[in-house]
Amino acid sequence: MLSTLIWLPVLGAAIVGFLPGNLTASRLRSIALAIAGVILLVTIWLLTQFDINSSGLQFQEYLSWIPQLGLTYKLGVDGLSFPLLVLSSLLTAIVIYSRNEEIQRPRLYYALILLVHAGIVGAFVAQNLLLFVLFYELELIPLYLLIAIWGGEKRGYAAIKFLIYTAVSGILILAGFLGITWLSNSESFDFDAIATQGLPITTQLILLVILLVGFGIKTPIVPLHTWLPDAYVEASPPVAILLGGVLAKLGTYGLVRFGLQLFPETWPIVAPGLATLGAISVLYGALSAIAQKDIKRMVAYSSIGHMGYVLVGAAALTPIALIGVVAQMVSHGLILALLFYLVGVIEAKTGTRELDVLNGLLNPLRGLPSTGAMLILAGMASAGIPGMMGFVAEFLVFQGSFAIFPVQTLFCILGSGLTAVYFVILLNRTCFGKLDNKLAYYPKVLRSEQIPALIMAALILFLGVQPIWMLRWSERTTTAMVAAVPTDTPQQVAFRMLRE
Amino acid sequence: MIATAPINTKIPPSNHEFADVIHRLEAGGSMLPDTPENLMQIIGIYKAYAVPMDFYWRDLLYIAEQVFLNPLPFFKYFISKEYLERHNHYAGDDADLRIWRGVATAHPELLAFMEKGETGKMPKLFHHLWHDRINMEFAEACMQAMLWHRGMYAPYNKFDSYLDSEEYKANARRAIEAYFQGNPVMLGLYKLFPDMFIEQVRQLSYYANLGLFWEVMAPVFFEMSDIYDEGGFKGVPDAMNFLVNGIFAIAGRPIYHHAYIRGECYEIIPKSKGFTWLYEAALPYVEAVFYRTAPFRGTKSYNAQAKEVPDDQKDFHYGILYADVFPVGTAGIPPTLLMQDMYHFLPPYLVDYYQKHCRGQDDVLIQLGITFQRSMYNVTSAVIQALRTALLYPLDDPNPKHLMANRAFFESQMDRFTRPEARLRDVQSQDYR
Repeated sequence: MLSTLIWLPVLGAAIVGFLPGNLTASRLRSIALAIAGVILLVTIWLLTQFDINSSGLQFQEYLSWIPQLGLTYKLGVDGLSFPLLVLSSLLTAIVIYSRNEEIQRPRLYYALILLVHAGIVGAFVAQNLLLFVLFYELELIPLYLLIAIWGGEKRGYAAIKFLIYTAVSGILILAGFLGITWLSNSESFDFDAIATQGLPITTQLILLVILLVGFGIKTPIVPLHTWLPDAYVEASPPVAILLGGVLAKLGTYGLVRFGLQLFPETWPIVAPGLATLGAISVLYGALSAIAQKDIKRMVAYSSIGHMGYVLVGAAALTPIALIGVVAQMVSHGLILALLFYLVGVIEAKTGTRELDVLNGLLNPLRGLPSTGAMLILAGMASAGIPGMMGFVAEFLVFQGSFAIFPVQTLFCILGSGLTAVYFVILLNRTCFGKLDNKLAYYPKVLRSEQIPALIMAALILFLGVQPIWMLRWSERTTTAMVAAVPTDTPQQVAFRMLRE
Repeated sequence: MIATAPINTKIPPSNHEFADVIHRLEAGGSMLPDTPENLMQIIGIYKAYAVPMDFYWRDLLYIAEQVFLNPLPFFKYFISKEYLERHNHYAGDDADLRIWRGVATAHPELLAFMEKGETGKMPKLFHHLWHDRINMEFAEACMQAMLWHRGMYAPYNKFDSYLDSEEYKANARRAIEAYFQGNPVMLGLYKLFPDMFIEQVRQLSYYANLGLFWEVMAPVFFEMSDIYDEGGFKGVPDAMNFLVNGIFAIAGRPIYHHAYIRGECYEIIPKSKGFTWLYEAALPYVEAVFYRTAPFRGTKSYNAQAKEVPDDQKDFHYGILYADVFPVGTAGIPPTLLMQDMYHFLPPYLVDYYQKHCRGQDDVLIQLGITFQRSMYNVTSAVIQALRTALLYPLDDPNPKHLMANRAFFESQMDRFTRPEARLRDVQSQDYR
């Protein structure tokens, strides 16, 4: 079934791409949406089949593809990748649905979206390192085109920057994977066939740092983040949803899957540094967001901050922190997608994203009251207000991390407070106050335009009050992952390293 | 802005910020540009305004004359049948001066609405509590604006100074004592706080003042609507001139306050005092409600810290001509009770018009509020032209000095709209909706 999730969008992309050119954008959207709907249905079916009591891989598929290279077509999901798979399928459908206006080259647009989805799903389910890199790179070019063709004013610059950073990320990851496999004398790139424990600690450390930088670019971790604000801001809102909601998760997923799981011995050494970088990312993202005048850029910087929580939780490596990491990835994906969606609606209706221009959007007659209301909800969720899934994820991360990294966790809590600050600024300036007569001839937000936001808002609320529905899929896997890591202290590992 | 070239070549063009508007006024036009769309809007809204106004004036007089000093006036909006059937002095067959060709009793559309409202037929109390009724609160807000901004147009307006006279107080005292006869509690309170009771009677005198003012305006607006429907008005100036003529026709209508206590009439302000409709009601009303204080409740709060409360009452500029029709919004405050009232009686052509613009049905209250603002600029134009006629010279006067005097008058009137809050600039554009 996992192959279906990869190849159905590829097939869909081919179909959409080769449909007659005289089809309207709305017709093509309907076709693409139907394909995304089928993908989502298959994902939901898998959801019903997923065994929450198992910590191992499920729905495995295997095909010996090019054995000479050690490249196999090996797929599988566990509690780490499965929630991200569901998130990806949901957001792809929303991304396709949300582009309701007539666009240039619609066949290419929808085909690229489907290809990106195929790449992301492939990366999440690949259990072979080379296969992972293939899928990881597969989404690069479509996303570059999506930013470069349908982006904003500085799309060319943003797309090139994104391409360069992500290509470097891919090269580093490939180099790391080759190093791991060759140095550990493994005959295959299969994930479960590789064991780094036999390698010298220094070698492990070098390989781990290469992977951390590679995935750190994608996440991104400060100071590897500079591609993100430009890419997020210049990308059209649906593509920004893809970038922030799903793509960034490839970075954090890679950190946990390949950093933590392949290097259980050396992970404790880098963990304090990672936690510190995470805390810096949180504070940097929050403080930068406060300084922004463009609401989309503000949301983009908030993303950097929130990915910092994932880093701190992953570094702490306690069962609670790690389940918090998965929750934070899902939560951040949904909340950020909702925020980008709403910012897109606001920009489409008002023609601006400037904090100094927008005002009084909650005006019941001439404003965008429903959009404003959901923006408040999304802001509250992002700031970790109880009752929403953002709170659950952040609380788990803080709870699980505090005992290991109290200082970094405290900085994260401070960052969470700062999140409330910039969202209060955003909401106060955009939603409240007096609607300016001269500007207030905004078109109405149609019900059809509200649907995606309503779905995401409902999920954020539901998973906020019933978090078990989010956590139950991952609990066994994350617990097993923590248990698989030796209990050596960083000092013990460092001592071994010196002895070598 | 629709430019109007100066037609009068005897005096140089105005250099005023609103020179175009001034030239238009000098040509006998209105502050509102003469476009078919403007004409359609203002006539339509006059009609929609006149129906609730037909209730306002009846209920204002009912309160002033019958409810009077009732300390618990819970049912003051439950107007009696007698007042609904009271004959308007300017409509019907027995009119003193027949302005409207229709009936003298309450307008049929008003009666139909009072019967069922928006929600359907149910007890009157439920309609009241649900605000599915004519919102008299708007009328009372206008009355309070007049009461608070006392002393306007003195010494022409003698009404205000009379309210402070010993004669008025003696009349009021007689009525107070008669009303509370046999009520030792209220009479005791009256002994303790006589000024408070006198002030209440002053307020009731303003109820009567405004009621008598609107008794005239309702048939004027009904007639204008009928003339428009018959194809009678060719442009905005025609509509304005109808108002100017109407103002002069009924300028001398007496303004008085009678209270009926146990069947006996107490003349608190007798007709014999000679207070007239133009100087004692119309001009103070326009000054208070159009210029100074917002009757659009919920659209404006006075922020003292932002220096929105002027030191001098005459510097207030929150009237209809300045009002921001958009609701403050964040609390979901309805955009005034008046707009809600007018909404029930829109003529079909105006309903269609609103559906085609902005958000159609969703923001119809704002659209009709802005139309109302346009229409009040036309009414104000009529008042300005009427004052010019009364105090100055004809527009076609051959003497340039007289024309310059007219010019100075128009420019001084337009000076009041140079404030940034004034909507005169906005109503010059058809896109202001």
